[in-house]
Amino acid sequence: MDKVLLIIPAYNEEKNILRTYEEIVNYNKHSKEKYDVIVINDGSKDKTKEILEKNNIPHINLLQNLGIGGAVQTGYKFAFYNDYDIAVQFDGDGQHDINYVKNIITPIINKKCDLVIGSRYIDKETSSFKSTKARQIGINIISKFIKIATRKKIYDTTSGFRACNKKIIESFAKNYPVEYPEPITTTEILKQGYKIEEVPVNMKERLGGKSSIRAWKNFYYMINVCLSILMISIRRYKDGR
Amino acid sequence: MDVKLKISLFVFSIILFIITTSILKKGRIPIKYSLLWYFFAIIILLTSVFPNFFSWIASIVGFEVMSNLIIAIFIGLLIFLTMALTIMVAGQNKKTILLIQELSIVKKELEEKSKNK
Repeated sequence: MDKVLLIIPAYNEEKNILRTYEEIVNYNKHSKEKYDVIVINDGSKDKTKEILEKNNIPHINLLQNLGIGGAVQTGYKFAFYNDYDIAVQFDGDGQHDINYVKNIITPIINKKCDLVIGSRYIDKETSSFKSTKARQIGINIISKFIKIATRKKIYDTTSGFRACNKKIIESFAKNYPVEYPEPITTTEILKQGYKIEEVPVNMKERLGGKSSIRAWKNFYYMINVCLSILMISIRRYKDGR
Repeated sequence: MDVKLKISLFVFSIILFIITTSILKKGRIPIKYSLLWYFFAIIILLTSVFPNFFSWIASIVGFEVMSNLIIAIFIGLLIFLTMALTIMVAGQNKKTILLIQELSIVKKELEEKSKNK
């Protein structure tokens, strides 16, 4: 059976992290598959570290705050060093639903693709939470850019609920963007000739805390992401892997 | 060119030269970074010693006044320097991130080992 690791980046998640972990433990008790967990504490300033230690949650404390990309990459490095077959990015804020992990890793277990994106938009019924109108427009624009760069339509370009196989774990462990990692890695991976699939998932509204993408930063975010995708599209990649 | 401007430029280039040399003497920057500052100092010195040559260049390139050419050269050099620094900072940042990640992972493994003892 494939070894599966859930990578949970956490920055100031004292309100949610324990609940998220308990949900996973509960799920493991009742199901055939068992998922390992690693929480990456990205230099949180609140009690996240204490909570992780007190409850014996497997975690890595980053010595400095690195931002979402640097934190998630640490998880991929951990997965790579410990020889995991599948790594799943899972949010610590309660947005992601543990019951859907099975759905997003199935295409990888069946070797149908290399990376799976848990998508809010591919099947309109599944997800109760669809995020704001403005953000949906932003996600759509990014989607168009990725289509131009790679000729593949990705619907939920900013979803942080993703699973990948060993080859991608290795690639992410070696190279992962510090900022705006989701749309950028999606484009890079497609450009390198890997296969990506989108699977419908349910996402809940955040339980507490703030999203890492703040409203006033959206415009700056869009320019950065779109420019990055354009740059990747003119970059040359070796064919094959 | 006004004699006052000549003298100012000359003095300025000497000061820049002295500052660069003293930083270098204390070993606070490697030689390769000092070269650019010496280059700056030399260009300033040349403009004060051979103003005619520079006003000739200014007329060729299309500057009406020589002092504008000097300013333009410096802005160009500074832009180049800033770009080089941006690239350096980005490279340093990448290395720092790598160090923090690897160190944090090793630290976790060490802590686990000492717990199991």
